[in-house]
Amino acid sequence: MFAVFPLNVLAVETKGALMTSLWVALITGLTTGGLSCMAVQGGLLASSLASQIEKDLAAGSIGSNRKPSPHIALPIALFLTAKLVVYTLLGALLGGLGQMLQITPTAQAILQFVIAIFMLGNALRMLNVHPVFRYFSFEPPAKITRFIRRQSRNNSSAITSLFLGALTVLIPCGVTQTIMAAALASGNPLTGAALMFAFTLGTSPVFFVLSYFATRLGALAEKYFVRIVAAALILLSVLSFDTGLNLLGSRYSLTRLANNLRSGSQAELANQPTVTSINETLLVLNALDDGYKPKTLHAPANTQLILQVVTQDVHSCSRAFLIPGLDYGVILQATGTQEVEIPAQPPGTVLPFTCSMGMYTGEIIFDL
Amino acid sequence: MHCVNCAMRLQQLEDDLPGVIAVDASYRRQKMSVQFDETRVSATEIIAAAQRLGYTIRPE
Repeated sequence: MFAVFPLNVLAVETKGALMTSLWVALITGLTTGGLSCMAVQGGLLASSLASQIEKDLAAGSIGSNRKPSPHIALPIALFLTAKLVVYTLLGALLGGLGQMLQITPTAQAILQFVIAIFMLGNALRMLNVHPVFRYFSFEPPAKITRFIRRQSRNNSSAITSLFLGALTVLIPCGVTQTIMAAALASGNPLTGAALMFAFTLGTSPVFFVLSYFATRLGALAEKYFVRIVAAALILLSVLSFDTGLNLLGSRYSLTRLANNLRSGSQAELANQPTVTSINETLLVLNALDDGYKPKTLHAPANTQLILQVVTQDVHSCSRAFLIPGLDYGVILQATGTQEVEIPAQPPGTVLPFTCSMGMYTGEIIFDL
Repeated sequence: MHCVNCAMRLQQLEDDLPGVIAVDASYRRQKMSVQFDETRVSATEIIAAAQRLGYTIRPE
């Protein structure tokens, strides 16, 4: 009856989970990703703009007022389009690689921890906390940067913009690498491609605005941007670590502690078990779009249970239901009832459950 | 050097200064080593060029 589903399968089959991930990727791109990538890849974009600026200077369209030229918009757009295409392809490649690796919930939890450490390290690097954190940045070999630089000089402006946009794939920023890890963890080429597309699309407005108005961005503003990016990375790393804990079924994740605080103040009458036979007890859990209800189920110890997970027109990641302690995972129907056999547990056992993304959690306490 | 991009900017001295053969700039190590033709460019000129880019140079 118990089955272990690779998490990649769960992730692919829940449309709601995918949509949530895409929104997260898009917003990450729009906020921290855009700024962080601009710091690393801004030089390439500047190179792609160089020939257009030279042309504008020759034509006299850039004056002493330093207003951005409308002609600058085209190379920026070409650069960003090429970047979007190449990163989407990279996402597909990483997703395909993840599919071959068959990432289990435990493996994804470990990946979440790695991502969390990576993001935290990058944030501390940006805040100049200690030189050791510089090792969290990816430093492309001099041969690659030399190649990019020389290519940018030798091509016409439109081709240069497209080419350099494509070459950004060789120098991904820290946040991009995080999304690349998520694409790998998705274990599906389409999901991986969609994740990278959403993220890169999110970074595009930031790139566009910052490069278009680059002449007006002072050093003070840059300093604040770095701090904002660092703060956002710290927050994201905490969330990533928490997701990892949820996927491992830990009771001490922030999400679960918050749930416990909330449920402690509410009477949860709906979670009382219904006895259906001498040896079996039936528990009912509702999987909703915004999580599981009730979040805490109380059940009798030393008794085999049937857990009924009920869905009604649910499209969120709560459909990808996991009980890490039992190595159990299932994709729930959008509307339906899934029965899960739970073997007898000793008194005091706590069995956490979660969605595949570690966002929605709950637990069964064997204390009756 | 604040980030990897700074190292890339310094590597650009290869193109900007005649006589500079290769620049190996590392953000992680906060170091830059330059291979150059002493008959065409001097260490002082290289340091001055790096300073013009906004970097403080401490020769070893």
